[in-house]
Amino acid sequence: MDFRSPAIEAEHLSKFYGKVLGLDDLSLTVPTGEVRGLLGQNGSGKSTLLKSLLGLVHPTSGWVRVMGIDVQKAPMEVRRLVGYVPESPRLYEFLTATEYLDFVADVRGIGYEEKKERITRLIESLDLEGKQGETITGYSQGMKQKVAIMGAILHHPKILLMDEPLNGLDPKSARVVKELIHSLARDGVTTIFSTHVLEIAEAICDRLTILQNGRILAEGTAQELREKAGLSNSGLEDVFLKLTGTKGVEDIVEALRR
Amino acid sequence: MRARVLLKFAKILMLSRLRNTRRSFLSNSITNRPLLIALIGSIMFVAGVGFGTATVSFLKGAGASAIDIGQIVETIFGGIPIFLIGFFFTMGLLWELNASSESESADSINWLPISPSEYVLASTLSTAYTYCPLVMVTVGYCLPIGILTGNTSAFLVLVLASVVAAFIGSVTVEILRSVLARASVAFNKVGGRLMIFLRIFGMILILLFTQTLFSGFLIIRIINSVSNAEATTVLVPLLWPTLSVTSVLRSNLLGSASFLLLSLGFLATLIFSAFGLRSRFWVSTLPSFHFSNVTKISGMSRLSRIGVSVISLALVRREIRSATRRKEVVRLMAIPIILPVMISFPALFSPAPTTSAQSSLISPLFLAVPLLFGVGLGTLFLGMTSIGQEGKRLWNLSSLPIDARTIVTSKIVFTSLISTIGLVLGLGLTVVFFQVSIMDALTFIGVGITLVLAEASLGVAIGGRYPDFSDGPRPRFVTIIGSIIGAFLGVVMMLLMSLPLLFLLLARVFLLLPFSLQLSFFLGGMLGLIFARISYSLSIRSVDGILRELPN
Repeated sequence: MDFRSPAIEAEHLSKFYGKVLGLDDLSLTVPTGEVRGLLGQNGSGKSTLLKSLLGLVHPTSGWVRVMGIDVQKAPMEVRRLVGYVPESPRLYEFLTATEYLDFVADVRGIGYEEKKERITRLIESLDLEGKQGETITGYSQGMKQKVAIMGAILHHPKILLMDEPLNGLDPKSARVVKELIHSLARDGVTTIFSTHVLEIAEAICDRLTILQNGRILAEGTAQELREKAGLSNSGLEDVFLKLTGTKGVEDIVEALRR
Repeated sequence: MRARVLLKFAKILMLSRLRNTRRSFLSNSITNRPLLIALIGSIMFVAGVGFGTATVSFLKGAGASAIDIGQIVETIFGGIPIFLIGFFFTMGLLWELNASSESESADSINWLPISPSEYVLASTLSTAYTYCPLVMVTVGYCLPIGILTGNTSAFLVLVLASVVAAFIGSVTVEILRSVLARASVAFNKVGGRLMIFLRIFGMILILLFTQTLFSGFLIIRIINSVSNAEATTVLVPLLWPTLSVTSVLRSNLLGSASFLLLSLGFLATLIFSAFGLRSRFWVSTLPSFHFSNVTKISGMSRLSRIGVSVISLALVRREIRSATRRKEVVRLMAIPIILPVMISFPALFSPAPTTSAQSSLISPLFLAVPLLFGVGLGTLFLGMTSIGQEGKRLWNLSSLPIDARTIVTSKIVFTSLISTIGLVLGLGLTVVFFQVSIMDALTFIGVGITLVLAEASLGVAIGGRYPDFSDGPRPRFVTIIGSIIGAFLGVVMMLLMSLPLLFLLLARVFLLLPFSLQLSFFLGGMLGLIFARISYSLSIRSVDGILRELPN
């Protein structure tokens, strides 16, 4: 596997939802095997970018290539390669976890023996044993998140797009997912990971991209971002707040208290 | 009990009904305000007064005797309260059956400080107010009849009895709601597949019962019992409002007052029962089914040997599970089964002369026409909702490598499978009642299947073009405009399919050409296949558009 070739390329990507701007002339390149963190305030364009990479939204202008395949021209090919965990995964709640994963496996063309082995192993690994016979309706937020993650990695994807994947996970499962992402990266799986938790982003990601108003505000390793913000010894939270120009946090807190 | 909270909450529930009914249609207008209902009620009251006056003029002009008029007044006045109970109960129940469990469990009402009694009263008020135009039109209709026939006092009692009846119907839904919610959770925990089967069966029975209630036969039978003064009627609390009206018409004022008081007492009992049941049994958790914890994976299906792909099978399996496990979808699945049965009821039970049925022209196969109409409509509506019911779960399909053609095929296959159950059920009834020949039965099934395919394809095309993905408390799955266009096109398609029948009949009458019912059905079936093919292509285009851009 060529770890230097770009797994994901986006050029001059813009997206308007009516008059609302989602992405603004954004260009991004992620090499194979890299874990890229997407940071940004609410509405900065993280989810829209992830959806554009998978062809779930049609860009107003610009193009995206995933493993060299044009997403707009061959979305099916791209979806075969990608595993996706959305921000709020609305699963088929009328199915049990096993039935859901069985459905995903069938659609992805995984054979009987292989899917049985993989589903059983995933259910064991993410502590869903004893619950797999219950419809997803009765699951907690974290359990639903686990099922969504299992569905995304079931077919051994080349690319993982994860929108806040650790939402609601218990500490053990969160740790398992973090280790999993590292381990997959070593095998050449490229991951784009959106999160609001900056410590997690720093711990997991090789490089970080900060978005604001649909544009890339800053890009680099955590250390490079610190230097860019002129805060070499500060935590990533301070760096993020400085780069995004967030001011007067104390004033906001005071207003909320009143 | 806080009156302000109660009224405010009743208004919110009413807005929920109004805006869910008219979502995406004439927004920000009077149609989204409760005042609309009062306005409709007032218009219907005036219209009712007009119709009532016309009825009295007609009766007097036709020279009806005072005794005849008295009997007619008794039938009309006596029928209204029992009809209103059934109507309010049915409408409330249908609303409840449409409710999404997912939305209900996440409803803020579950954690706001609103007591069970406040909830019950507010919900009852909202049901009663939402459908009050029916009370208004009946009261308006009876006003001139009461005054012009000298039954003013009976009219006044009728007004009271109607209001009580409307509340009896509305509060009964609240009782049913709490009991069903509790029973559902309890049984689902242990029931698994058996519970799923029972729930579908129960839903079909409830819908059949409520539809029968409106067939008219039942109400006339009840009124006859009351008119004949059958002693057992006084033991039925649901008939007390009716008896309060018929008593005053027979100058039994004491009896009338007693039955009115009894009706109020019955209503009070129902309200207090609803309070108790709500506080004791209401559960806001989503009912979940429990199956075996053994990891059971689907194997190779026999259908794959005849060329059905694994992806299509996975999709159809998912459709069946959705339809049998989601409360708001189960009732949709019942439609293609119930409609043909309901539509064929009058044909099956009307006293048709058997001799003519055996003649060469008027074959029992003619009865297939209304039956097929029911099957076609049911299929169309099921198909139209099939795309929108993906709701916010649509990303699952969009992010997986499934093309529009596969999705459309699975939707059409599933819709057709369910509708074929209705078709076979209708055929079974026809065979039992009219002893149709094997040839006729085969013709019926043949044309029925082409009709099902045509209407299912059209339904999916319309559902894909006008989907409603919003997961509101009462999801509709297709926009109002889509429903109207779909219903129109569906009926036109059926009319076009019946054109060969009409032409061949005309050719026989005017040109004395030999007539073959089988041939006309065959030609109709061919047309159906052509329509199915066209609609199939349109469906793929619609669904492809949805997959290209995930709705925001």
